[in-house]
Amino acid sequence: MEVTISTAELLTTDGIPLKQSLRKAERRNKLRAFLLVFPLLLFIIVTFVMPIGDMLLRSVDDSQINSVFSNTFDEYKNWDKEADELPPEEVYKSLFFELANGDKRQIGKALTRMNYAKSGWKSLIKKTTREIKKIVKKGEEPVSYKDTFIKINKLWADPTYWYSFNQMVSERSSIYYWNAIDRTFDKDGDVVLQDEKRRMYMNTWIRTFKVSIYVTIFCLILGFPVAHLLANLPLRYSNLLMIFVLLPFWTSLLVRTTAWIVMLQQNGVINGILVWLGVISDDGRIQMVYNEAGTLIAMTQILLPFMILPLYSVMRVIPKSHMRAAQNLGAKPAMAFWRVYLPQTIPGISAGGLLVFVLAIGYFITPELVGGKDGKLIGSWIAYHLRTTLNWGLCAALGGILLGIMLIFYWLYNKIVGIDNIKLG
Amino acid sequence: MSKFLKTFLFASLVFAPFTASAVTVASWGGAYTESQQKAYADTYSDPSSIVFENYNGGLGEVRAQVESGSVTWDLVDVLPSDAITGCDEGLFEDISSEIAANAVPGPDGESMAEDMENNGLEYHSGWDCCVPQIFWTYVVFYDPDAFPGEKPNSMADFFDTEKFPGKRGIHTWATGIIEKAMVADGVKPNAVPTVLANQTGAIDRAFEVMDRIKDDVVFWSAGSQPLELVKSGEVIMSVAYNGRVGAANLAEGENFEYIWEGQVLDQEYLCLTAGAPNREAALDFMWHASTPEAQAEQAKYITYGPMRASGIPIIKAGEPFGPGGVEIMPHMPNTPDRLAVSIVSDPQWWSDYGAEINERYAAWMAN
Repeated sequence: MEVTISTAELLTTDGIPLKQSLRKAERRNKLRAFLLVFPLLLFIIVTFVMPIGDMLLRSVDDSQINSVFSNTFDEYKNWDKEADELPPEEVYKSLFFELANGDKRQIGKALTRMNYAKSGWKSLIKKTTREIKKIVKKGEEPVSYKDTFIKINKLWADPTYWYSFNQMVSERSSIYYWNAIDRTFDKDGDVVLQDEKRRMYMNTWIRTFKVSIYVTIFCLILGFPVAHLLANLPLRYSNLLMIFVLLPFWTSLLVRTTAWIVMLQQNGVINGILVWLGVISDDGRIQMVYNEAGTLIAMTQILLPFMILPLYSVMRVIPKSHMRAAQNLGAKPAMAFWRVYLPQTIPGISAGGLLVFVLAIGYFITPELVGGKDGKLIGSWIAYHLRTTLNWGLCAALGGILLGIMLIFYWLYNKIVGIDNIKLG
Repeated sequence: MSKFLKTFLFASLVFAPFTASAVTVASWGGAYTESQQKAYADTYSDPSSIVFENYNGGLGEVRAQVESGSVTWDLVDVLPSDAITGCDEGLFEDISSEIAANAVPGPDGESMAEDMENNGLEYHSGWDCCVPQIFWTYVVFYDPDAFPGEKPNSMADFFDTEKFPGKRGIHTWATGIIEKAMVADGVKPNAVPTVLANQTGAIDRAFEVMDRIKDDVVFWSAGSQPLELVKSGEVIMSVAYNGRVGAANLAEGENFEYIWEGQVLDQEYLCLTAGAPNREAALDFMWHASTPEAQAEQAKYITYGPMRASGIPIIKAGEPFGPGGVEIMPHMPNTPDRLAVSIVSDPQWWSDYGAEINERYAAWMAN
């Protein structure tokens, strides 16, 4: 018998090949799905991707000052620092005209920038510009621009000011990232350590990590038993206890932080009780706040719910029979817990740990208030430069490093635990 | 359309013209803005046209508004270093000619600038964009009950932990502390800005003095904290904003004493944002808020001193000037005898060196 295979295409009722029709329907579905998520996508792009992109751009951008002093910077690059102590006459000359003819506001912005490279630029340039404008007004042509500058202010004969140009002469620059880890450029443009007295970013970075990791660990140690208790109590008790977890969660951050100050200070509740009990003497009151310890304690309490809640939701669905079965098969309770129960809570531990760590690393208000002498984290410095010095390049670099570190942690986490193993509830 | 929505739309149509013309003033909030409301807005010809909004200081938000072209703040209340930077960068509009023409002169016909110079101030570029408000100071205060014997009365005492053992409260940034340390080291208060600006090693000297109390310091970062610290006995004396101490004394029945020597006066300005939506109305309010009368009026509600010298006689003539018949002059930071032992903080120097010194200060705190 012969089997005939129809070579004709399958057609739908309106005569279009089935394949094509299916593809069309699928395309329509895809489009519909895309249109449904489009507003969210747009929202994410506008509120998330663009600001982060803008921030990362700012961290390497020095174009503003390069447009203001383009000639001066070009001439500056020709300066042979080994041969001449001071830049050549052309550098002074182009600076003279760029200050005399430049837009006042653009120069104003540029000198805010210059002041990050070396303190003192701001008023030096302002004073000099005033004098230069007078010279131009009189219509005098200086014989030597170099001498004119030095006559206006002797700082123009100080090569250290000129060396700081190295930090600004390229439109795309890594200087802000170097500044964010206590480094700067020397007179040859090589990376060197910042002046010893003002080195503090590395210490702050280390402290930020240390505090974040400790807070995560403390939250886990404190949160695990609580979550376990909540998950295993009858619902009416656990709901009541849950209120105690959630109530602080809903209370204002500032109120909780201030409450910790009241508790922890030297004349505070805890020290008072310890003295009353005779554990410590009246002179030996412990300093528990306005330092790193205060930051650790307050942050642990504030971030604790972020650990308990995911742990609780994971633990609740672990069947109680598993532990019983393990013990039935001969495991001691500790072994059963270690081999059977704990592995099942890993998704909750991961979720809570990641959540607490991410929140802790960028924490700002609590460390600012209770941190005192050595408890401030990197977030405080981002806020300081954002508001006070307007050094947004450095802010962006600090933020960029923070973002980078988060991505590294995320990658590590994915390698070790696997991102599919995360569960928020 | 629901009834609620209709009412809402109708209301916004009716009120839109009014809200659009209101002058928005960004200021520091709390008791300070309350005093501005009472002294400047309530005495203005059209009080409802002035709306205060709180911010945390600095130029970050102003720069964001101006750069993005969506300016919502007409006026901003700023520190002098921010007035300088904002004016240099064009975040604030240069209105020097309008100030010269329209600012209300003093009683003897002196211009506003002259009136400020009579108070010991020097011109800086912030004056081109801003009008003066008040002097506030970093002052050391203590609870006299904590000192049964001799009481501290100088900066040398503040930095001497042997003579007065106990903790001191200072803030987590460097402004003010550096100057006080210089006074403790024997520099005449009025000479401190000059020494800082011209003497190499002056900063090192200040840090050496600060080392003396380092192990006995509690660092605070919010203006309300020093009062709590002193009240609870956590520290025996502390640096604070004088307005906070004055409020505690006048309104809360506290009995704190000041150490006026080495107080560091800082200034406060009202500046016009570049591209302010209600420029003309804002300017008019600026002229009103910078009159000697309005500045003196503010002293009724907070113990900050007028930046125009001619404001002081108005307070003196009106004593008891405070609410409930309280004498205000004992709490004013800028009386002549107090100015003689004070430092007027140099905003230009701080805007040059502030970032570097604050980094060094942070390193010093943590080590």
